Formats: sequence, structure tokens, C-alpha cells
Amino acid sequence: MIWIGDVLVSQGEGGVYNERMLGGARVWEPYRSKLAALYHVGKGVELVPSMRVLYLGAANGTTVSHVADYTEVVYAVEFAPRPVQDLIEVARRRKNVIPIMADATRPETYAPLVEEVDLVYQDVAQPDQAAIAVRNSVFLKPAGSYILMLKTRSVDARKDPEAVYSETLAVLLSAGFTIVETVWLSPYHQDHAAIVCTKPLA
Amino acid sequence: MCPLMQSYWFGDIADNGQCQPFTGDMNAMVSRIRFLSARMDTHIPLVWEQAVSCGVCAGREDYLARLQAICIAAAGKGIREHYAGKDAELLQMVRMLDEMDEVINLLSERAADWYMVRHPAFSRKYRRTPASILVRTMRENSRGALLKVAGEIEQLAETRTALAKEVSARANDVMPNTSALIGGLVAARLMSRAGGLLPLSRLPASAIQVLGAKTALFAHLRTNTPSPKHGIIFQHRRVHNAPREIRGKVARVLAGKLAIAARLDYFRGKAAPEFLAEAQERIDAAGKGGEI
Repeated sequence: MIWIGDVLVSQGEGGVYNERMLGGARVWEPYRSKLAALYHVGKGVELVPSMRVLYLGAANGTTVSHVADYTEVVYAVEFAPRPVQDLIEVARRRKNVIPIMADATRPETYAPLVEEVDLVYQDVAQPDQAAIAVRNSVFLKPAGSYILMLKTRSVDARKDPEAVYSETLAVLLSAGFTIVETVWLSPYHQDHAAIVCTKPLA
Repeated sequence: MCPLMQSYWFGDIADNGQCQPFTGDMNAMVSRIRFLSARMDTHIPLVWEQAVSCGVCAGREDYLARLQAICIAAAGKGIREHYAGKDAELLQMVRMLDEMDEVINLLSERAADWYMVRHPAFSRKYRRTPASILVRTMRENSRGALLKVAGEIEQLAETRTALAKEVSARANDVMPNTSALIGGLVAARLMSRAGGLLPLSRLPASAIQVLGAKTALFAHLRTNTPSPKHGIIFQHRRVHNAPREIRGKVARVLAGKLAIAARLDYFRGKAAPEFLAEAQERIDAAGKGGEI
């Protein structure tokens, strides 16, 4: 990852969302992007130019654009029409962003489009986030990593975030994932945990 | 079709490795990928080099460029189809209406405060002046910027009234059954809160009953405050005019019928007179405190 002092940046064409520029690089705000927050509070997964990434819950393509600055290709899956409009705009300016309008709970609809990847990044506001991770792990290369941004409030707004978190971990473990790192994203994001894991062996 | 054949966006690969490239034009390709579905239990992950050996593209760069073009076209088509739904515009219309209400209220309150500074003898206490009349009074008795502001508020209120009529008419057309039971405006608000006609039609009656009472519902779930009896549907006269003791009952019966009405609206798209007659009768009976 590229740091200028303690500011995380990415190298690419700016002006995607009026992001701040620093020394010709695009500032990647931890308060805005959960993945950026992960690099601030934890280790995360080092993004490298050879990487192929499957990004679930691409939303408006803000974080996607930063990931694309670092990697070879990003398959960006988003279901809601309004954000997909923005995502398409990002893809038009970046050769390595493939926008896919599909539901992350139904990988069968985009399996004919997506190759095996080195990293799956999942940031979806759904109740069954662990199940989505299990289903999408088929796209992961044997040595690949899975980053799950757990929105505990989307799983169950009433439950204690800690409880949701340990239940999710249990599901991932029983599906055979190996947990590499877990970290809460506070103070940047409330009730969000990042879980970094590696693929279950088939 | 061979059971182990793998279909990818660029073509089909038989279990003997024979590749059959897809040769249609962009439109055909878009339709293909939008309806292609893999069997995940037998799915073999896509290997991009196969697209090259299949003769579809020249190399990695070409592969990604083609795939991106097709995916952009497919996503664009998905968006257009979504917005083509009759409820998409109604949703924006009713949200704009509610937003305008809020803005008009805010501006009127602020203008009234300003007006009171200029007219120390003025008070709104003990007067049942509707906001619209108040704004007119302010405009008539003011000069300069305040006069202009009051004029703008009146203009905005006029636009709001026109929009409300349009919302109502559109709702009668898009959701005839729901509108017949609860009125076009409230029907449109329910739809807006659910996020569209399809999501509304998928809600259980219990959720429709408290749609728009989020704060009260979560307060109830978290602590032991009483559960909310009604959300948006309170705006309907049969709910807010009902005596307090049976209001919850009316809301529940109404919500039950609304859930059916929303499904009729989504799946059938036109009024179902028999259902409506039966439902109205049932709701009226609940309003009279009849046995449920």
C-alpha cells in the first residue's frame, strides 16, 4: 500500500468523487471507505498490480476506484440500479473495472462472467453476510484471501454487534475458512468489523 | 444440452474441451449474459485464456475490454428496465412531495419568527390560522426580502398542491387496489417507504401496519415500550378517526387487506372489484368495533 506520511493514497486518475489529491496521488479516506479504514486499524491484504479482485457490494464505485488503482482487474458486483449508474461511469474511465449488475446472494448469475480471483472483498448490507461469503468463496484461488466487512447492524439491528460478530465467525469457521485477522473499524466506522480469511479447502 | 457443458459469456465449452464461441451481436450478447445462469455444483471457474483459444479475443487486454463493454451494456439495460417500471417515477414524485412539505414547514416557521420581530404585537397564540393564510398575511404586511420569501413559500405551496394531485392520480393508476383502500397519497407513501411496488407486495401485513413507525418499533424491540399500532396508515381517516381503543384493531385489519391489495397491484395491475368490496366491508366492520 502507498502511504504519504500517515495518509493512505492510490495512484490513478483523480476526480472520481472530488477526492483530495496529495502529491499527484488520490487520498483514500478511512472515514469514507471501510477498506481504507482496515488499512489504518489493521493489516488487511496488500493490494498488488497482478491481483484480480471480486468486489461484492460495489455501490457507487468509490472504493472500487481505489482498489482498481492498485490491482489488475476488479469485478464490481452491485444490485441496486441507482448506484450502478455511478459505477458504470467509473468503469467508463477505468479499463480494469468490470461493472456487474447482479445480486451477491446469487453467484450463479455472474459465474459465467467472473474468473478466479486473488481477493474477494465483500461489503454488503444483507442479513446473511456469512452465507454470502461461503457461496462466493468458489471464485477464490486456492491461496486467495477473502475480506468480509461485517455490517453487524444489517444482520440484526437489535443484537449486540459483538454477538453478531462471533456468530458470523462461527459460520465462517464451520465452512472451513481460516481466519487471518479480525478487527473492529472504530473510530472510522461504528459497528463494523473486518474479517480477513483464506479459502476453505474444497 | 450436454449436462457438463460450461457456459461462459464468450461461448460454451463442452466436456471434451470443444469451445463453441458465441457469435451474436452486442444486443444478443447482452441478452445472453443477463439470462445465463451457472449450476454452482458443477461449475468450472472461467479461464480467460479459453476465450483466446476459442477465437473470441486476441489477448488479456482485448478480453477485459470486450467483457467490460458487454457488462456496461448489460448493466445499462438493467437500469433502464428498472426505471421503466411504472412505480419508479411515482416513488420519486412522492418523495419529492414529502420533501417539499418539510421545506415549506421549515421556511414558514422561519418566516414567522422573522415576521414577529418586525411586528412585536403579532402572536400565533389563540388563533387557528392555517399556515397558508399566515404566509399570505405575512406577504401582504411585509416589504423587501421577507415579502419575497413569503411569496416564494406560497409559490412552493402551490406547486406542492399540484404535485400532490399528480401523485394521487398516478397512484390510482399504478396501484389501483391499494389506492382504493387507503387513498392514492397514502398508498404512494407506503410504496415509497417499502422501496417500490415489488418490495411492498412482498411485505407481510404486520410490517405494512407499522411501516413508517421505525423509531417506535425499535424502541419497542429494545425496551419494553408498547408496540406501535400504526405507521403511515395512521394518515388514513379510518385509522385516525377510529376511537382510540379500537384504532389498533382497525390498523391491523386494514394492513391485512393492504398486503393483499399490494400483491394484486403488483401481479395483476388492475382493480379487483370483488376483493375491494369485501375488504371495505371488513374494514368498516372493524371500525364499528365488530367482533374480529
